[in-house]
Amino acid sequence: MNRLKPLNRKAHQIEAAPNDEAVEKVVAMTAAVAGCATTFDPGWELDPFLGVAGLCQPMEADLYGCSDPCWWPAQVPDTLHTYPDWNTGKDDAARDWKALQSVFPK
Amino acid sequence: MREIKHYRVPSRTAILFTILLARCAVSESLASDGTAEALVNSKCAVCHSAKGDGKWDRISESRRTPEGWDMTVARMSFAHGVKMTREERSSIVKYLSDAYGLSPDESAAHRYIVDRTPSVVEHPENKLIGDTCARCHSYGRIAVQRRTEADWRKLVHFHVGQFPAIEIQAGGRDRNWFEIATGDASVELGKVYGFESDSWNKWKAQKPADASGSWRLVGHKPGTGAYEGTATVKRTGNDAYSVSMTVRYENGTSEQLSGSALVYTGHEWRATLKSGEREINQVMTLADGGRSLSGRWFESGYDAIGGTLRAVRADGAKPTVLSVQPAALKAGTRGRLVINGVGLDGDVSLGNGVKVLSVAERSAERVVVEVESAKDAVTGPREVKVGNARSGDALKVYQRIDYVKITPDHPMARVGGNGGSMNKVPAQLEALAYTVGADGKAGTADDVQLGAMPATWSFDNLNKVAAEMKDAKFAGRIDQTGLFMTNDAGPNPQRKYRTNNAGELKVTAAVKDGTRTVKATAPLIVTVQRFNDPPIR
Repeated sequence: MNRLKPLNRKAHQIEAAPNDEAVEKVVAMTAAVAGCATTFDPGWELDPFLGVAGLCQPMEADLYGCSDPCWWPAQVPDTLHTYPDWNTGKDDAARDWKALQSVFPK
Repeated sequence: MREIKHYRVPSRTAILFTILLARCAVSESLASDGTAEALVNSKCAVCHSAKGDGKWDRISESRRTPEGWDMTVARMSFAHGVKMTREERSSIVKYLSDAYGLSPDESAAHRYIVDRTPSVVEHPENKLIGDTCARCHSYGRIAVQRRTEADWRKLVHFHVGQFPAIEIQAGGRDRNWFEIATGDASVELGKVYGFESDSWNKWKAQKPADASGSWRLVGHKPGTGAYEGTATVKRTGNDAYSVSMTVRYENGTSEQLSGSALVYTGHEWRATLKSGEREINQVMTLADGGRSLSGRWFESGYDAIGGTLRAVRADGAKPTVLSVQPAALKAGTRGRLVINGVGLDGDVSLGNGVKVLSVAERSAERVVVEVESAKDAVTGPREVKVGNARSGDALKVYQRIDYVKITPDHPMARVGGNGGSMNKVPAQLEALAYTVGADGKAGTADDVQLGAMPATWSFDNLNKVAAEMKDAKFAGRIDQTGLFMTNDAGPNPQRKYRTNNAGELKVTAAVKDGTRTVKATAPLIVTVQRFNDPPIR
């Protein structure tokens, strides 16, 4: 680590971690939030252990990682083909989630 | 309790659903005079070429439930731009459900997916079909469709075109998915859930039943308990009815409901009823030539809040005992039993060891008796007779509660509300009591389920990770009817990672049996919303 200089907040967290266990946690969460949809394939509502600890936290952090590549189209509207305007103008899911609609027309 | 108020207020979604169902009833006349077929020709045949004789390309190569057809027809609007009014949509769904529906037998094993029974854990009957389809959908969603093998294969092609990530998701990328899905899986689907069936051919040949008349009903609402009542059904058009219901719960409350029903496919009863501000939807099956009706009902927008219902004709039906409240009697006690049924006339017999002390009230539909059970009354279910009317195992006698199970076994709730577009999804839990039977062992075939018992409800974190994340603090609360209501949706700044109010909980029910307390636990998962929420998931 001596030759590496942290450039972002997560990297700083790793550098500041008091022990190896804490480093592990930072790494795991980095992967879960940034790339869970393509890396670990958790279920939309349940993780592989039938719980929720392995899902993206918060869900909104990677919601568009589900909708844009059509990853959970049965649960999250796919903006690729079926609902292209679902999140138009709602660029930050963590901020704009309240404006996201349930799509099936009742 | 803020959450309770929240789910009792009809949401915008619920109101829209009501309008749709109410208009179903109006549009049925269209379906009957050929206008609906003309509508299919004008709205659908632009792409699905008409073959004559009520057949169109693809449309007449598959069969579905009314909800299944509604999802297909709705998709033609939002994915392919078909313009249609709500009346036109309802009319097309009614027509296609009648012409290309499922017989009662064909959907019997998977009613849970149609009547929205909450938190059902599926065990796919067919592994290949389960592996192919149930990684995204419920297995039940597939099992309530019938298609030709060629049409199942076209459905695979549709998925690849519409949802191209299907080939690179888990379960897709790690095998030769496309070949399997268009090959063996399509063949299997065509065999197991094929278009042609004797059951459907026989059903189509039957004369449609008329549901109008007087009905006697019983049921159970988790969290509230058993109920009984009556209904009057009047015909308002082909397959359309007005419904007026009186329901009396065992806790002493009662309600009047009224609304309308439409019968699809000759047996798929769908009704929307109102009781004051509350609105409920019935998803039931009309059977026995229109002489019985059974299924489930739930509050609009809150699938988990509802119950089961069974009804028989009150007018001229064979004498029958439908239910006993309470359904379990402890040996060596005195109590009051309410026997519900039709044609109840004659002596009451509750079997050896249970003596009728007096008859407190009686009519042809309801007999109330004071009873005493002997200390050595034999444990187990027993037949209840009132004159010629009898039940199968309506009353259970027990010496002690040996164990308790929480149902659903794996309950799941969802965060919601907080200004978002989706309601909270609560979990309604029940504590079912059991006695072990003659072999003295729990979990064997002679165990007797005694029904739901009052319980003291509590919950905690399910495991170490949940404790670290303080899930129990953030996920929701439970009341003493077993109703778990989640907390608000959205990132929570008070939580680590600003995570949602999701969580992994362990819920405990403590049931009193005399001076003893019998406890049960179950995992309760609180998860996030689903943004695509069709009637069949």
